[in-house]
Amino acid sequence: MTKFLQLAVVGISTGSAFALVGIGMVLIFRTTNIVNFAQGAFAVIGGLVMVGLVDDMHGIVAGTLAVLLVALIGALIGVIAVGFRTRTTPLASLIITLGLALLASSLNLLAFGDRPHTYPTIFERAWNIGGVLVQPQFVIVVGVTVLAALLLTLGLQRTIAGQALVACADSRRAAELVGINVRAVAAIAFAVSAALSALGWVLLTPIDPVNYDSDVRIAINGFAAAAFGGLVSIRLALVGGLALGLAEQLIVGYAPGQARQYELAAALVILLVLIGWRSRHEAVE
Amino acid sequence: MTTRLLPLGRLGATLAAGAFAIWLAYQLEPGSRALFTLMGLYAIVAIGLSLLMGFAGQISLGQGAFYGLGAYTAGILVVGLDPDERLVNPEAGISPLLALAVAPVLTAAVAAVVGVALLRLRGHYLAFATLALHLILLAVLFAQARFTGGQDPGLAVIKGLDIFGWEVTGILGATPRLTALVWGVVLVTLLLALNLVRSRAGRALQAIATSERTAAAAGINVSAYKLRLFVLSAGLAGLAGGLYVFLLQFLSPDAFPIFLSIQFVVMVAVGGLGSVYGAVFGAVAITWLEDELRELGTRPELLGFELPDQAPQVFSVGVFALILIVVILFFPRGLLPALVAGARRLQRRATAAR
Amino acid sequence: MKLLEVDDLTVQYGPAVAVDNVSLELEEGERVALIGPNGAGKSSLINAICGMVKPARGRIRVRGRELTGASPGAIVRMGITQVPEGRQVFPTLPVEANLLLGAYGRDFRNELISATIRYLRRKGEIADRLERVYTLLPKLHELRERPAGQTSGGEQQMVAIGRALMAEPRLLAVDELSLGLAPMVVHGLSEFLRRLNEEEGVALLLVEQNASLAFALCSRAYVLETGRVVLSGTSEELENNENVRNAYLGSGLEAADA
Repeated sequence: MTKFLQLAVVGISTGSAFALVGIGMVLIFRTTNIVNFAQGAFAVIGGLVMVGLVDDMHGIVAGTLAVLLVALIGALIGVIAVGFRTRTTPLASLIITLGLALLASSLNLLAFGDRPHTYPTIFERAWNIGGVLVQPQFVIVVGVTVLAALLLTLGLQRTIAGQALVACADSRRAAELVGINVRAVAAIAFAVSAALSALGWVLLTPIDPVNYDSDVRIAINGFAAAAFGGLVSIRLALVGGLALGLAEQLIVGYAPGQARQYELAAALVILLVLIGWRSRHEAVE
Repeated sequence: MTTRLLPLGRLGATLAAGAFAIWLAYQLEPGSRALFTLMGLYAIVAIGLSLLMGFAGQISLGQGAFYGLGAYTAGILVVGLDPDERLVNPEAGISPLLALAVAPVLTAAVAAVVGVALLRLRGHYLAFATLALHLILLAVLFAQARFTGGQDPGLAVIKGLDIFGWEVTGILGATPRLTALVWGVVLVTLLLALNLVRSRAGRALQAIATSERTAAAAGINVSAYKLRLFVLSAGLAGLAGGLYVFLLQFLSPDAFPIFLSIQFVVMVAVGGLGSVYGAVFGAVAITWLEDELRELGTRPELLGFELPDQAPQVFSVGVFALILIVVILFFPRGLLPALVAGARRLQRRATAAR
Repeated sequence: MKLLEVDDLTVQYGPAVAVDNVSLELEEGERVALIGPNGAGKSSLINAICGMVKPARGRIRVRGRELTGASPGAIVRMGITQVPEGRQVFPTLPVEANLLLGAYGRDFRNELISATIRYLRRKGEIADRLERVYTLLPKLHELRERPAGQTSGGEQQMVAIGRALMAEPRLLAVDELSLGLAPMVVHGLSEFLRRLNEEEGVALLLVEQNASLAFALCSRAYVLETGRVVLSGTSEELENNENVRNAYLGSGLEAADA
């Protein structure tokens, strides 16, 4: 039983990080109609920068700087990905984000080398609840995720800024016509999105070390979470991410040998099943 | 009104180019020849993908997987399905020619099954799903290492390919005949693809490419055409993969990284979506470029800067990524069409100036 | 000083010339129409005036201010808003949100956060404006919570007009009012625009394929063919022009197209 709970604790934490990535993807999709392949890269850069900084300064300062840096990078990527109104279709933007993700991973390789990076946890001790080890970081990442999901959902529905964001995806042309600068909006959406993904990994790297090529795995997990909500529901992306993280940890924990490979394969199969299920509900383009 | 023949001029030029490629196969040094063969293999894949992306408007990030699947299908069939028997019995397995025939068929079948569910969705779902397919293939190759050879020791395929007595490759691997065969297949694929574009099916595809809704309203079965294109592109990739086996006579999952799938997309983007000639151009250009970049990266220093260990990888992937971004942003209809249009404009200005 | 002056405007898409050396002008409070067949360049002209496409040559001046090549936002701030072809509402957002975004966009400039602050500062003013629009278009008040995509064509046209009005324009550019709408609905909207102009002084630049509608509503018109102004004058003059009658007024069948 303790094993199950321990796995569940870890699973829900990693699941929250996936959910943050997925929520970021939903935010970007709902405001720009773009599916952001570089979402995984945001998480990886966040983790790597955190590892680089945490030796020299207090954990919280390092984390904040890492998140801010990634937010800036995200804004830049967003402006590039949105392209030109007349020439760049959403599918073309997807390819651009793919290219940007690749570029990011090359630069990460150059800057950090080819080996997993991690840092010792910044909190001194973990709580022991009935034999289950719970790192404070786990609680923080889950809390942040739920809070972010709540704020974003309300924000998009109830505030004028949120509605402006949604308007850009509803009709880019009409949004520009009334005077909204769509590129500026995309930059904000990408920046917030990037910050969320980075935050997840800034907190999670101690249990899920990052390497320069981790972004593919993270992007796929994030996409699976987002796909659970049809790419438009933040709430469902949250649920999907948590479920995914949980499922992966349980499979790894109870399956014999060759654990790491099955973890990814599990995510992939879940993704494909989700996509197959979605095919019966979504309108064809 | 279906014209099944190309205009004679273009047909002649294409055949001449094909003949030149085949002749070139016999002139090159083994090193260059291997690269040239690879260009041909990639051209076959790129043609299929270009049709898919150009007419069905779908992005497949899994052509590398179909390529790999074709390779491993052929390879495993040739050495024999039972890993233990392979070691003791050199006669295990089926004839290379038969294996080469099965590879594209199996790949196409897999694509058919997967495509039915996926093609109904919007493009980004297919993009991720095909990427996931590629990752699943890699995971299976590693996980079932006993069956597939995995990364170490890999799968050695030491049987020569011969086509009804005409020996293409011996036990020692790549020969000029293989290169000639590959480019012969490129030529045939090219002609068939061009033929397809000009046929009635081709016109349906043009309609779909212009506007799916209008095409559907006109009674065209859009999903059936998309599925067929997907299956065709997978089959072509599988065929190329099967031929690849005889180039190196060794298979390892390292030869089919995710990056390969992305390279195919870059090739098509550069050549122009839907352009069959463009696909060949893209394949040749990108393969050459990648080779140059990797070589550039292996030098100890460049322009006075000392290069780190990871340079080859960073150069090829990073530069690729930049090319992809620039091409899609500024030349969304393809680099080749833009170059051709630019050349025509220069020509017009030159004649106008006279 | 005229409200709008367009001088020798040329709009090109690559090698194709959509608008060829067009000049027109509009006074405050006027109702002017642009008529002509499909593909004559009317929409391109409107889009250039509204900043959606940059002209290759020529000048656009609004109340004396040079605005050639300005962004759509800048044009909205100078008092010109567009009711686009095909309505182009924000389908998933409720009608009220659609309207409010019309006001929000006017002061957007370059960046989201400052735009939101500016909007919130004007909250009272904007609420009053919203009330005014609801008074002018009561149906919108009824539909205010409904997602704009779930309203009928005529209602969406009202949403688009309301949204354009929220920015307190001096000139309303309406692109193909009648497209895809039933004649009765078009008549109602047309009457509304007339009253809007007479009571509020909002000028009207109407792009229309339906020439008789254009002549009924507007006092002056320009006839555009293949990107050029071939004729211009008062509606009366044009209605009595032989060529115009044959080409655009048909024999009572003109209402059937569009």
